[in-house]
Amino acid sequence: MSVPMPTSPSSTLQSGESHLHPFLTTRSSLNLRRRLVNALVVLSTTLAALFAAGLLIYLLYYVLSQGLRYIDLDFFTQLPTPNGEPGGGMGEAFQGSLILIALASLMGVPLGLFTGIYLAEFGRGPFAQGVRFLVDVLNGIPTIIFGLLAWVLIVIPMQTFSGLAGGFALGMIMIPIVTRTSEDVLRLVPRELREASLALGATEARTILQVVLPAARNGIITGVVLAMARVAGETAPLLMTAFGTTFWNTDVTQPMDALPLRIFQFTLSPYQQQVNQAYAGAFVLIVLILLASLAVRLATGGFKQR
Amino acid sequence: MTPFTPSTSHRGRPRLRYLGALLLLGLLALLAACGNSNSSSGGTTTGSGSTCPSTKQLTGAGSTFDNPLFSKMFQEYPKVQCGINVNYQAVGSGAGINNLLQHIVDFGATDAPMTNDQLNKSTSGPILHIPVTIGAVAISYNLSGVSQLKLTGPILAAIYEGKITTWDDPQIKAINSGINLPHKNITVVHRSDGSGTTSIFTHYLSAVSSDWQSKVGAGTTVNWPTGVGAKGNSGVAGQVKNTDGGIGYVELSYVLANNIPYALLQNAAGKFVAPSLDSAKADAESFSNIPADLRFYIVNGSGDNAYPITGFSWVVVYQNQSNSDKGQALARLLWWMVHDGQQYAQPLNYVPLPDTIVSKDEAQIKAMRCGSSACYSGS
Repeated sequence: MSVPMPTSPSSTLQSGESHLHPFLTTRSSLNLRRRLVNALVVLSTTLAALFAAGLLIYLLYYVLSQGLRYIDLDFFTQLPTPNGEPGGGMGEAFQGSLILIALASLMGVPLGLFTGIYLAEFGRGPFAQGVRFLVDVLNGIPTIIFGLLAWVLIVIPMQTFSGLAGGFALGMIMIPIVTRTSEDVLRLVPRELREASLALGATEARTILQVVLPAARNGIITGVVLAMARVAGETAPLLMTAFGTTFWNTDVTQPMDALPLRIFQFTLSPYQQQVNQAYAGAFVLIVLILLASLAVRLATGGFKQR
Repeated sequence: MTPFTPSTSHRGRPRLRYLGALLLLGLLALLAACGNSNSSSGGTTTGSGSTCPSTKQLTGAGSTFDNPLFSKMFQEYPKVQCGINVNYQAVGSGAGINNLLQHIVDFGATDAPMTNDQLNKSTSGPILHIPVTIGAVAISYNLSGVSQLKLTGPILAAIYEGKITTWDDPQIKAINSGINLPHKNITVVHRSDGSGTTSIFTHYLSAVSSDWQSKVGAGTTVNWPTGVGAKGNSGVAGQVKNTDGGIGYVELSYVLANNIPYALLQNAAGKFVAPSLDSAKADAESFSNIPADLRFYIVNGSGDNAYPITGFSWVVVYQNQSNSDKGQALARLLWWMVHDGQQYAQPLNYVPLPDTIVSKDEAQIKAMRCGSSACYSGS
């Protein structure tokens, strides 16, 4: 099978080559340079990767060492104390964050998922391209802009800061993330699966709902959980919407606390006890987000696929 | 029948998903129940015999100067008064006033009385100023080994104008004999947000330095000739604490909580006085002519023991409350703040309100209107 290399013309070709490229130096020095450049590039990319990973590990270590010792049961079940008085916790911030994420998901998941289905299944032509472009733009907009939007659309007309406004701002942030991930995983579903379903006489709606969506379920869940984890750490859009409180509150029409908001305020506090609690809060936030990504990867076998 | 019959496992999966959604809902409900039981356990007793308003939550925003006192007051308030939660966020006096004008908070708090311009922006009629406490603005600094630093008003103005740039300047040396001042650059720290503390401080500098008055002036935000900005009283305190050679103006309780050294300041009587509860009180007592609308500054008062950078702090509310229920709850809260609430001032180094001010406050609170009747029903 192997084609025998013509030996005699190669030497002539080589001499001809050096004539054709007079700026190239001899072959051995070329190899040395290639090897040097190769080594340099491998070294610098490895160093960059080590630096990035090291930074994350240092961050985890720092927050862990600063925050872990201030975490106890009270931290999750008690309200903050005024002026650095001992004790207390961030109970209302955990409660508020859960409610805000639930509100955001209620808005962001259906809208994002349906847009993703549209783009993957029906989206053709200039309109779909436009939608796709706008979703990408939406993804790149600084999150504080969504806070401003919620401020103008909800806070000012309602004449009060509210959990609702915070949930709206966070939901807006979730839409493009859920849209893009669900579009991508829906496109990964083999065409044959759709064809088989249609060939069996199923309607297009049925095909999407009972064949395509279940096949893409893991990927969609991954996208949703990652979007949730992303908004769980958002602070800026909540400053002018959810506003924060230091009391228990389940009324979404009233100001609501959130974990990143409380961390922000306590970090700036002059009282050491509150600064410590801010570290503890940061630790819990990081652990929650790590657990969420880890659980998703494990549940969907994401480690192998990627 | 339908040509496409899903297998049983296909039917089972959606059901499992519903179960998951139900579980999530249940978790949220549990959380909500937990929150409610916690909030109601705090305040079942009512302070006075009168009936409780149905409003259970009030929202306020503004001064960071007040925040230590307010956070203590509002932690105690639901325990004594109908379980009403008062959510106060220290966003700065300027932001507090704006939020009130936009009707998104029930009350604002500010250490600078609102200007006529601001009052004219109100779309809901007159705004009442209710003094709630008196505090001192300390001049904090960061110089290792230097304590009991003395400063005068003109020197402070020159530092903030950028005319004095090192700590061993001859003018500072002249009044600090016996202190070894290092040759170090002065880092001026001021507020970056709209601030009542800034207003008190710049009114003081304007009172002691005509140069400052003509070139910079006074207000919640000014054009700083030099220095770095920090957000809130706590931001300035933190910045000074972390900057070698830094100087900044911070409400007294923040300085004490941070263990930052503060300067003795020369008052109008020529004495060097440290900021304290007593010296702030002495300053406040030297002012007897109080205008009817309660908008006034008390900087640079007379008296040997008066600390010159002292100021009132106000709660600002609409005289005509659009929501009667909220108005009644608010009037009740304000009444408590200027009476029983004052017990928390002293431990936090705020000056309790003098009786003359309390009686003026009572008149203001009784002037609040909820529809056709007064908001405050007690006496």
